[in-house]
Amino acid sequence: MGAGHDQSETEPEVSAVGRRLATGAEPYFYTAPALLLIIAVMLVPLSVGLSYAFRDIQLLDPFSGGFVGFDHFRELKADRNFRAALLNTLIWTGASVALQFIFGLILALLLNREFPGRRLVQALVFLPWAVPTFLVGLDWAWLFNPVVGPLPGWLFALKITHDTNNLLAAPGTALIGPIVASIWWGIPFFAITNLAALQSIPKDLYEAASIDGASVFKQFRSITLPLLAPTLAITILLRTVWVANFADLIVVMTNGGPADSTQTVASYIFTVAFRRLDFGYASSIAAVLLILLFIYALAILSLRRLIMQRQS
Amino acid sequence: MGRSECGHPREFEASPRVRAALWLAGTALGLSLSLSAEAATTLKLVEVITSPERTETLKSIVKTFEDANPDVRIEITSLPWGPSFEKLATMVAAGDTPDVVEMPDVWLALYANNGALESLEPYLKTWQHTGELNQRALQLGRVVGYTAYMLPYGFYLRALYYNKKLFAAAGVSAPPRTLDEFVAVAKKVSSLPGKYGYCLRGGAGGVNAWMMFGALANGSDVFFKADGSSTFTDAGWIKGFSALADMYKSGLAPKDSVNWGYNDIIAGFYSGTCAMIENDPDALIAIAERMKPDEYGIAPWIKGPSGKSFPTIGYTGWSMFANSKHKDLAWKLIATLDGVPGNLVWNRRIGALPIYTAAAKDPLYADARFKAWFDELNDPDVAPMVMPVDLRAWALFASSIVPRTSQSLLLGQITAPEMAQQWAQVMTKAKQSQK
Amino acid sequence: MTIRMLRRILYWCSHYLLIGLYVLFALFPLFWLIKVALTPNDLLYSEGIRLWPSRTSLEHFRFVLAHSEFPLFFRNSLIVSSGTAVSVTLISGVGGYGLSRFSFRGKPLLVALMLITQMFPLVMLVAPMFRLFAPLGLTNSLTGLVIVYTAFNAPFATFLMQSFFDAIPKELEEAAMIDGATRFGAFRRIILPLTLPGIAATGGFVFTAAWSELLFALMLNSSSQASTFPVGLLSFVSKFSVDFGQMMAAGVLALIPACLFFLAIQRYLVRGLTAGAVKG
Repeated sequence: MGAGHDQSETEPEVSAVGRRLATGAEPYFYTAPALLLIIAVMLVPLSVGLSYAFRDIQLLDPFSGGFVGFDHFRELKADRNFRAALLNTLIWTGASVALQFIFGLILALLLNREFPGRRLVQALVFLPWAVPTFLVGLDWAWLFNPVVGPLPGWLFALKITHDTNNLLAAPGTALIGPIVASIWWGIPFFAITNLAALQSIPKDLYEAASIDGASVFKQFRSITLPLLAPTLAITILLRTVWVANFADLIVVMTNGGPADSTQTVASYIFTVAFRRLDFGYASSIAAVLLILLFIYALAILSLRRLIMQRQS
Repeated sequence: MGRSECGHPREFEASPRVRAALWLAGTALGLSLSLSAEAATTLKLVEVITSPERTETLKSIVKTFEDANPDVRIEITSLPWGPSFEKLATMVAAGDTPDVVEMPDVWLALYANNGALESLEPYLKTWQHTGELNQRALQLGRVVGYTAYMLPYGFYLRALYYNKKLFAAAGVSAPPRTLDEFVAVAKKVSSLPGKYGYCLRGGAGGVNAWMMFGALANGSDVFFKADGSSTFTDAGWIKGFSALADMYKSGLAPKDSVNWGYNDIIAGFYSGTCAMIENDPDALIAIAERMKPDEYGIAPWIKGPSGKSFPTIGYTGWSMFANSKHKDLAWKLIATLDGVPGNLVWNRRIGALPIYTAAAKDPLYADARFKAWFDELNDPDVAPMVMPVDLRAWALFASSIVPRTSQSLLLGQITAPEMAQQWAQVMTKAKQSQK
Repeated sequence: MTIRMLRRILYWCSHYLLIGLYVLFALFPLFWLIKVALTPNDLLYSEGIRLWPSRTSLEHFRFVLAHSEFPLFFRNSLIVSSGTAVSVTLISGVGGYGLSRFSFRGKPLLVALMLITQMFPLVMLVAPMFRLFAPLGLTNSLTGLVIVYTAFNAPFATFLMQSFFDAIPKELEEAAMIDGATRFGAFRRIILPLTLPGIAATGGFVFTAAWSELLFALMLNSSSQASTFPVGLLSFVSKFSVDFGQMMAAGVLALIPACLFFLAIQRYLVRGLTAGAVKG
């Protein structure tokens, strides 16, 4: 690269130090663009948003803004609505992510084999991800509506329900609607990421294993799963965080009702922020959610590192 | 341009082409400067109950203003109706305030009490049309601090819409006039397979129905005692709340109406699922589009055992933000929107009742379908009920507390007295802290 | 022989059965969208449950294309989504490579920061972000949206790219560097082509995420000149006309580019990697 070899011979020390500095700074060059953008555009508003948790911020009251310390967190500890929302969040997140992960992985395994029409099938099954969540919510709300949707009639005919009422209208079953919608929407995410990861597993590993006589299941457990583990960890982690944080489907399909039976922490934050207009309290709830999710992330990442260490 | 023999570029010499380009650029710059000097002032107008037809009408009225004031341009921002509250609140909180905004009654207290809105009193004093406004217009515009922080453009009064076809099929000959008749009619219609008597609004915006049933059973729409404590725990209110809840529990309203909002009840009505709704004249627009005139009717709202009826009256109007830099111009815009020709054009499109006493004689309102509302306005036993929108906590109560607790009541998780107790607590606190 | 053939028939039967179920599950709600979009208003409720209306009509599509500002919203969405996809792919490509190949002191902190940005509910970020962007003139602008979307999608994209790079052995570029190439040169010429499926997947995700994003598009931009199509869809729910037919028609129209985009990147996902050849 560049000029002839005379340069490197005449100034060895400077060039060597320079090179060491350059290699030391190299990782930062690669990660700088992402880092700078994230800091400027996301972390600054995030810190401002978090700071609201310690202040009294009423959205439309220009005179609010006084420092209140941990008052909001004290209020949060005694808040029954929050605890109910937390429970709903666990159910909502757990069911949604687990089911879409399982179905997504199965789909990826199915698509990993060559068969006639695979390209067409692939294109079709990934379509749900392209639909905006607001439209997904509306679409599924219609599907569950006994007047304009087929599902209540079918569920009744299949003896799964004992009447043709709207699942979304009863507190015990209302959460099923958004969960199903979330699964429908989320399967492509896991299918695509797992498929791309599956494709990077060298085929000769499988060939060697089947020559050795390993069954399909054993190959899956000892080759596929460990090599998929890094991708699995990241995708499950991110998807969980997103599902926990996004209230769109619930707000569109049930608005947190009936009687708060589908209110999750994310939709509760929305209610407090934009109905009570109490941004300080809403921010304290968000801070607690942030801490919980962070702990969860640490757990997953350590699990991932464990698996990768065991691999090597 | 070229390079001299020794490799250095010669002095810059504008070629004819470059000169022509510079001349064009200069002219364009000059033109644009002079053009922008012409459109010197831009006023920002925000509408919050947006729909394509409304926006078109608004634009046409605004155009008459721009024609009359050639050096002013109006920039209209139309917020999608669903999230309009959050969107406007975010904009205002961040300082992105318009000059004139469409202000619903429910939001007025929130903005006016925080000093965000400009008082229109000085302008009203000198306005030529102030004397032509009917009593209610000024009274309701002054609901916060006895100062006109908004000028209403029309009123929304509830009346009873009923489905004539379903009535005929159920053997009902006339719309109900009392609470008992209402329940009886609902029972008859609900006995038809797959049909229901009442389109209950169990979700967002249902507070008006609860208030209406409560007040007519109570015989009075007084919300607060003299000391500021709420009257909701009075037996009368509780009877009304129970009556409404019982209708749902006994199947006189569709099971999923516990979640229904505005769009759902209107759709339920025009699809023939449920036979009766109570709503404002602007619902007529959506209903008339989907139903034939002989399929539905409109009657005055029912009366309670005391012989009195309390349909809720709501209103929306135009407000000016206090930090507007063009207050006089903004008032001129409001005057155009709410002036005699503009207001009538507007109300014709959006279907609200007029603010001008003389407008009641407009051919639009002579239409048979508006008869019910004018009958209500002329009936001494009908007392249109104004919600306590002057309370800052009303918005939260109406949008969040009422849906949640009323749904609990409908689902049998709490009893009517318990719900009334919770409401009374919130209302008392709101009223007494506002003093 | 026959037992093995039987097993293979059984396998492929169940394979196709499952595939069929997946396709059905994925397509049925979309079919319903199309069905509602083609149902004339008067039949929308009276024939709600039927699988296909007795009379179809293109009135909703005509209305959406002619009367609403839908074509404008469509164009805006296209600009914002492609812009976001391109910038995210560039930023996360190098970022993911950095995370994959190096272990440096700042790495845990960087990862933690990236994760944290995903964990805070966006509703709470809107107000501070609005106040931050307004004086910079980035509200009511498509550029502002591209910047926000890029920043929000960068962490996920970076992690995804990192996992794809992890699957490629370091020896590849190290071999090239010994031969005199720079790391970046080796990255560009050798590693990148091998991760084309990963890049395609990431680009596809980001495009659709930006395409369907609603909250920031709604809150940061007010004028219709800068509105994207999800915001446009909201305008069909007005107090006057509950125009689900039109909304579904607009939704169907908007799905077309997303579908085309996915169709385009299918090819890359199918192609296998050659990394295995080096390992063996």
